[in-house]
Amino acid sequence: MPRRLQRGLRVAETSLLVLLLLVMIGVAVFQIVARNAFGTGFGWGEDLVQVAVLWITMLGATAAAGTDSHIRIDLVSRFASPKFRTLATRITASFTALLCAALGWYSIEFIRWDFLDGTPGVGAVPAWVCETIIPVAAALMAIRFIGHVIWPNTDERP
Amino acid sequence: MIWAGVALVALMALLGAPLFAIVLAAAMLGFLAGGDELSLIAINIYGMADKPMLLALPFFTFAGYLMAAAKSSERLMDLTRALFGWMPAGLAIVGFVGCAAFTALTGASGVTIIALGALLLPMLKSGGYDERFSLGLVTASGSLGVLIVPAVPLILYGVIAQQLELGETFTIQQLFLGGVGPALVMLALLAAWTVWRYGGGLRPGFQAGTLWRALTTGRVADLPSAWSIDRREGVPRTSFDPAALWRAVKAARWELPLPFVVLGGIYSGFFAISEAAAMTALYVLIVEVVLYREVSLRALPGVARESMVMVGSILLILGVALAFTDFLIGADVPQRLFAFMQEHVTSALTFLILLNILLLVLGAIIDIFSAIIIMVPLLLPVAVGYGIHPIHLGVIFLANLQIGYFTPPIGMNLFIASYRFDRPVLELYAACLPFMAVLLIALLIITYVPALSLWFL
Repeated sequence: MPRRLQRGLRVAETSLLVLLLLVMIGVAVFQIVARNAFGTGFGWGEDLVQVAVLWITMLGATAAAGTDSHIRIDLVSRFASPKFRTLATRITASFTALLCAALGWYSIEFIRWDFLDGTPGVGAVPAWVCETIIPVAAALMAIRFIGHVIWPNTDERP
Repeated sequence: MIWAGVALVALMALLGAPLFAIVLAAAMLGFLAGGDELSLIAINIYGMADKPMLLALPFFTFAGYLMAAAKSSERLMDLTRALFGWMPAGLAIVGFVGCAAFTALTGASGVTIIALGALLLPMLKSGGYDERFSLGLVTASGSLGVLIVPAVPLILYGVIAQQLELGETFTIQQLFLGGVGPALVMLALLAAWTVWRYGGGLRPGFQAGTLWRALTTGRVADLPSAWSIDRREGVPRTSFDPAALWRAVKAARWELPLPFVVLGGIYSGFFAISEAAAMTALYVLIVEVVLYREVSLRALPGVARESMVMVGSILLILGVALAFTDFLIGADVPQRLFAFMQEHVTSALTFLILLNILLLVLGAIIDIFSAIIIMVPLLLPVAVGYGIHPIHLGVIFLANLQIGYFTPPIGMNLFIASYRFDRPVLELYAACLPFMAVLLIALLIITYVPALSLWFL
């Protein structure tokens, strides 16, 4: 994948992940202090932290797609020749890209229902806004895996 | 058509497609075959936001990565050495205890071998242990500790087991208690075996050659001489050094309260597990970044990113697996599986033996997180049908998968160790076998003595 695009995506992912993680820790700890010391807390604090976990999951998974470090059964990459490995990467990455695209596509329908129903999400933010991370991350992952099909990166995986 | 799809998915799994894609494809196939909407998958992924306990995962994982990035491993080693180093075969015991503690604290993400191995291996070798034993210890101990709070696999099992509707209920606190006894059994057996092998003292000896000669020549009087009692020189021992202990305690002063933050948080009732996890993350963040200054502010985003990539790849599998479980339950698969098993396997004992074999193989093929996510929804209802308590099953699951980590030919830790210590994998296979034998005995005890995991109920 072109270097600059790759670096840009990486910086964006990392910043968002770090921000979300710090917000999560901050809000969760604030809730404990507020509840135990003052007997109060935000009603939506808990919801916020839980949605943040979903966002972290999707963004973390997107980042893992970028470096092709998703969990997999490592039979081929351990024992096959580099040439076959490249071929296997191309095939499995196409398969994965297709599935991510399907996941994103069908999640839009789910978001549309929650949009029409006005399902509540976090505080004043409706649920459908929180859910948009699913198709967005799915699309980004699909793009990443298409990238692996075109530029199969068979470097050492940990 | 569906079977062609299943075959394709299986082929992709073998070729090394990401596991989340495999499970996603399986869920989609299932929903398509049942005529359901594919948007159900997104609904299930979003449903993760409704599981408060799941919060504990990112927090504990982040804390673990932070500690791995700092010099916690050195402090832990110094401390365990000062505490246990004076015992017979003390260094090996230090290795077992240190690895178990580090694995539990860092969430069992494979960092133990990387972080502790480099310290332990030279220490063991210079302490008089032979090369093969030292390599085996470092590799096999890399997964000790998955049964100890707050290891992430334990929490993951709790999350998944609790969302299945079973007759038996349990709290996550009980699950944590359940892991303690079995973890101690493993440590005790490993320590006993090591002391037998490397501690000095009297040992019965046996000469097969003498016995054979006595038998073949018919000289019965010579028979007893095949057995003997020898005094064996153990590895050199060190004496207990209070000053060293004090130094180690002082060096680790900020990290020592950590178990109390975690356990106090979980058992005091002041906050939920997820909140205890948040406190732990904040505490470790302050300790490593501000107090020890071993993780710089510039390095922090990298550590955070790495840990969240790990969390993302585990939880995405969980999300799609929730969808897959939804399909399985809708299609009555666990019930059918149980009915099928009942026809062929009548006793709980036989079921447990089969389960052990299945999980050992599985643990060697896939990582512990995916194995839990994929297999627990299928096997837990069946096990409960056989009268096995969910906590006991969880302990059996983790104990098996822990051994699977270094089971040849493709247990993950074998490769991590091979890479880390620059040794051929075959050498590690051989080095790990005796440890595997000891842990398999522990596994049998854990499996067939449920009281070990359920004593507090």
